[in-house]
Amino acid sequence: MALADQDQSTPVGPAGLSGSRVVQALLVAAIILTVLRPWLPDGLVRAPEWMLLPWRDWIDTVFQYVTFDLGFINVTRFLSGGLEFVLDAVANILYGRARWPRFEAVPWTVVASIAAVLGYALGGWRLALLTGATFVWAAVVGQWKWTMETLSVVFVAAPLGFLLGGLIGIWCWKSKRVEETVKPLLLVMQVLPFFSYLLPAVIFFKVGPTAATVATMAYSLPPMILMTTIGLKKVSPEVVEAGKMSGCTRWQMLRHVYIPSARSEILVGLNQVIMLCLAMVVLTAAIGMPGLGAKLLEAMGSFKLGRAFEIGVTIVLLAVVLDRLSKAWVVNLPEHFERGTPWWRRNIYLVIGVTLFIVFIGLSLMVSGMKPQPIEDAGFGNWFVGILDEVHRKEAMSQGKVYDRAIKDFLSLDAVTSVTGAIRYFVNVYILIPTERALLFVPTLAVIFAVTALAYRLGGKGPAILGFVFFCIVAQFGYWDRAMLTLHSVFMAVLLAVVLGAPLAIFASRSEKRAKRTILLCDTFQTFPSYVYLLPAIMLFGISPVTVILSILIYTMVPIVRYTLEGLRGVPPELTEAADMSGATRWQKLTQVQFPLAMPTIAVGVNQALVFAFFMVIIAEFIGTRDIGQEMRRTMAGTELGWNFVLGFSVVFMALTFDIAINAWAEKRRKLLGLA
Amino acid sequence: MSDAPVISAHNVWKLFGTDPEGYLAKMPQGRSYSDIQADGYIAGVKDVSVEVAKGEMLVIMGLSGSGKSTLVRCFSRLHEITGGTIEVDGQDIMALNEKQLIEMRRSKMGMVFQSFGLLPHRTVLENIAFPLEMRGQDKHDRRERALEVIKLVGLDGREDYFPRELSGGQQQRVGIARSLAIEPDIWFLDEPFSALDPLIRREMQDEFLRLQAMLNKTIVFITHDFDEALRLADRIAIMKDGAVEQCDTPDKIVLNPATPYVAKFTEEIDKARVVHAGTLARPDLAANGDPIPAGTTIHELARQLVDDDREALPVVSKDGVIIGGLDRRQALDILLGAA
Amino acid sequence: MNFVKSLAVGALALAPVSAFAAAHNSSDPIVIPIHNWSSQIVMSNVVGQMYETMGLNVEFVTTDSQAVYESIRLGDVTLELEVWEGAFGASYRAALAKGGMVDAGAHNAVTREDWWYPSWTADACPGLPSWEALNECADLFKTAETGDKGRYLDGPVDWLKHGKERVDALGMNFTVINAGSAAALWAEIAAAEKDKKPVVVFNWTPNFAEAVWPGAFVEFPEWEDGCDKDPSKGPNPDALYDCGNPADGYLRKVAHKDMTSKWPSAYCVLSNISFNNAQIAEMARLVDVDELEAEDAASEWLGANGSVVQPWIDACA
Repeated sequence: MALADQDQSTPVGPAGLSGSRVVQALLVAAIILTVLRPWLPDGLVRAPEWMLLPWRDWIDTVFQYVTFDLGFINVTRFLSGGLEFVLDAVANILYGRARWPRFEAVPWTVVASIAAVLGYALGGWRLALLTGATFVWAAVVGQWKWTMETLSVVFVAAPLGFLLGGLIGIWCWKSKRVEETVKPLLLVMQVLPFFSYLLPAVIFFKVGPTAATVATMAYSLPPMILMTTIGLKKVSPEVVEAGKMSGCTRWQMLRHVYIPSARSEILVGLNQVIMLCLAMVVLTAAIGMPGLGAKLLEAMGSFKLGRAFEIGVTIVLLAVVLDRLSKAWVVNLPEHFERGTPWWRRNIYLVIGVTLFIVFIGLSLMVSGMKPQPIEDAGFGNWFVGILDEVHRKEAMSQGKVYDRAIKDFLSLDAVTSVTGAIRYFVNVYILIPTERALLFVPTLAVIFAVTALAYRLGGKGPAILGFVFFCIVAQFGYWDRAMLTLHSVFMAVLLAVVLGAPLAIFASRSEKRAKRTILLCDTFQTFPSYVYLLPAIMLFGISPVTVILSILIYTMVPIVRYTLEGLRGVPPELTEAADMSGATRWQKLTQVQFPLAMPTIAVGVNQALVFAFFMVIIAEFIGTRDIGQEMRRTMAGTELGWNFVLGFSVVFMALTFDIAINAWAEKRRKLLGLA
Repeated sequence: MSDAPVISAHNVWKLFGTDPEGYLAKMPQGRSYSDIQADGYIAGVKDVSVEVAKGEMLVIMGLSGSGKSTLVRCFSRLHEITGGTIEVDGQDIMALNEKQLIEMRRSKMGMVFQSFGLLPHRTVLENIAFPLEMRGQDKHDRRERALEVIKLVGLDGREDYFPRELSGGQQQRVGIARSLAIEPDIWFLDEPFSALDPLIRREMQDEFLRLQAMLNKTIVFITHDFDEALRLADRIAIMKDGAVEQCDTPDKIVLNPATPYVAKFTEEIDKARVVHAGTLARPDLAANGDPIPAGTTIHELARQLVDDDREALPVVSKDGVIIGGLDRRQALDILLGAA
Repeated sequence: MNFVKSLAVGALALAPVSAFAAAHNSSDPIVIPIHNWSSQIVMSNVVGQMYETMGLNVEFVTTDSQAVYESIRLGDVTLELEVWEGAFGASYRAALAKGGMVDAGAHNAVTREDWWYPSWTADACPGLPSWEALNECADLFKTAETGDKGRYLDGPVDWLKHGKERVDALGMNFTVINAGSAAALWAEIAAAEKDKKPVVVFNWTPNFAEAVWPGAFVEFPEWEDGCDKDPSKGPNPDALYDCGNPADGYLRKVAHKDMTSKWPSAYCVLSNISFNNAQIAEMARLVDVDELEAEDAASEWLGANGSVVQPWIDACA
């Protein structure tokens, strides 16, 4: 803590005031304003009416002008035309959509067996089993076509995101100026509420797979760009010099030295791209993403929890499989063969893959034109070959109804409802509702002062000024109360995530095995479509603030656990050993050695959690909220684009304030600890 | 060794900071390393002048941060120098454009790195053939030449291994082979053996001397290990704070350390094992009887020095010419550690 | 797909396909939007299969039910089969005003969207369905979060239901909470079912929920035209929204403006189409209760109701 005090005294505020003085002054001002609130004129409590500018109309006018009068829409439509062609072709290959190159639908057995061979090639029989089983599951429960529809978009969005992200990443690494421009833009893209993407996406890129691809890419690009830049920056200077001394030209350097050496980081980026693509499968259903996501929403709409659950499982399985495949690819450096190994031995996987392809295509040709028949009529042989070609709806072994019953029975167990009822009562009445009211009571200016003080304490002068400006903008956008409710949910969810997640991470950090399991759990929760557990949450906790916070919590917990774990495990073993030898207890070791060193990493986690929370709080509108999300939903009726963006940017500015301040803190801290 | 120098550096400066050129132009004479540091700049290389003759091995010795690695990177223009001139084969390398620079590296220079700098995704063969590939040689030639060098460094049979599958010593052999693939005239070695175990290091040094005896390259070798420097060098340049403290043959450095800093290194050295008879031979000292070869060390002559009763012993060079007389007393002093 | 098509073809015993092919219909696919409630999905599939029997190309796209109007205007989506007056009236009117979309007439269905309670609530509050009686029972609907007021769960805000205004206008002792989605409404009803906890929520008809949870709409002062614009209408002379919602809201169809020229036969059929409440409820039932997939439900419905749709098609031949 001594360190923190030191660095706080270094920044010098305006008029020569020391940093901590400025913080104190701002906080005192905030408190005075709050205490005096009952006697303050209205104009000091909330931004007065005359201060609110007609942003809505301006945005509408500019949008109209740029899109149609300047013809920007023609540019984007031209691009989406090309994109559509690619999407259609992939869709044709995967599930026989009636487009170029006009193949028939591939039998599921072909896809499943080739996927399994690929799994084997990359990661041995375990991965082969997982990969194969996932596709068999999708076919057997009758979700084959939807799965292929989903994958047809993922298979385009992920490589495109990977390529584009990689290119921008390289550009950022080449030029500091570009990096400085791109970074804040990426952040805005990530925290801009999803509801703000809906309309522009369908207007600019045409509702359907194209808009879905673009929206998915908007969310999956940032980590790819970041990881590429990090990877390229990390290439060992000796390798670079070796390249130069070998007489590489600039292009040869990039192609033969930098990119291969940054392979691990670049592929971690790819992995993130894949995970985010699958996480977006449900949300983008609103703008034309076909397949599993749309079916899941449909199931929810008619309250088929079991069906929704089953679809959710498929999405998670796909995510896990694609994730494992791409990770295996990272680890799997090429192998060498003894000289004289025959061709087929070197390319054994290709040979097996092609063989299986021919076998199953052949089988499916046998049954082409045949109508599906019950096993009694067709005879086992024909029936079986028919199944290998296509699992028809009536033959599918979906257990949706069984799960549905099980889930609903569980949710109505007295033991469950009485506990959740008590939690709901306590948390809502004694915690959330009072804090919410308190936050709404505080005058706008006091909140702005407090936020500025916080930003100052964390990041120093620059972030404080930005925070002040950003919150003033939010205030004069005119949706202050809703903004505060949003902020309230975000804070509570992050706070709760820290309270619950930090101990979990500490527990997990004690052994390799636990850490691995915890990370798997994190991955699963991150990709399991949140919609699936929203409904049970509503049944247990009602449409109330606690449900909203819980739904956000799942997403905020993940980064907190992940980064805390990483931070703790990243502490050099010499240091913990030194602490042990100094006779530190576990607790002393944790508080005196591990946490201080892990803090910069944990801070990144908290920041991630905040960004996720700002994203999810808007999605939580699905439950029913009274914050900005709800108001954004209102803008959807009548397609009020300007209004929508004013609300969207209220969220963006709040999120940016915290992001900038926390990152500045983590950066400073890292330098102080000599970790940078 | 008498031709024009292969590398010749004059008053070379390399400063790190916000505006090194501007600072150097305005900098008054005689600023010390710490004065410069106080001004916000780091002097990586400070007013260094040195020449390397053809076929000579110059060892640059210094502790970490002394600027030795920076200096060698200036020779190959991996670093752009701030002031002074560097000529390679009479060509001012700072005047080369990018294409010419690449051409020079492709045809004339090889470099070996402390942590090997191997490309992890390429096999031994592909790593070694990398410089050839970069200059566009066809695949067949590449392979042939690479196999040649692989044999030279004793890695036969490991062509298809990946760097991670090799030991440290083997990896550095790959690094050496890669640097030799293009048959460079000038060979830079940046602490090539520092990352290796002491036993392997010794073995690699022997190997290196064997190679050099065969190839006779012009070499700039960097080390922080004074023993290594003594063992390998024709001449040693000892660096501190970016500047060369002393540049001379090992014998002379050991006998006459120019500064107290250099003396600190030589103190612990068994001089008898370093100093050669030829160095001590004085032309003005007449001597008779059986001559001793100039290339033997005093240590090697120990028995004779004790047994012989002559005041001075004649020293004969490699080509059989008497170059002077060796003062036996002086040699004995060195042997006994009195000098 | 072949399987489905052949069923539909068989069921309709069609009029010659060539009649439509000759009518210069474009071979581009007609894009039909799919939302997330069953009746709309099945109806879209029914119409899609009708078009396919006419030899037209059809494609479906899943979209948001509000943003879809912008897509219709731009021509990315060709038509929309369920425009609910209450929920989508605003988007529909905005899109019509901006141009690019044409009205293709209404279904022979009345929609009702209003306060609703499951049957067990009536046991606890016998005065129902009268709104005054409901107000008397407000205590029954209290929850921890609403304090001493009753809790009314309204629909998502973009359905523009004005529940809060009505509570104020009629001086009701209720707090209005907005659910975020239809699914959230169902979850609340389902949670209340176990203990027969009295709830009053927003609901509409036709809808699958009627089959799962029997119940009734609360009777508010009857809708008068202008109740949402003229304070003098309705019992409270100083307030808007002091009436129930119209008990006979429309359910319309719309199309992109070029549909009339690009697929004249398809547009002609679209304007003829008119499903009634019972038919729509049946479509929803096939999916929600019988658990069929939408495509199969549509074929099944068409199989049983070929005589309903055939005249609409024939009229355009």
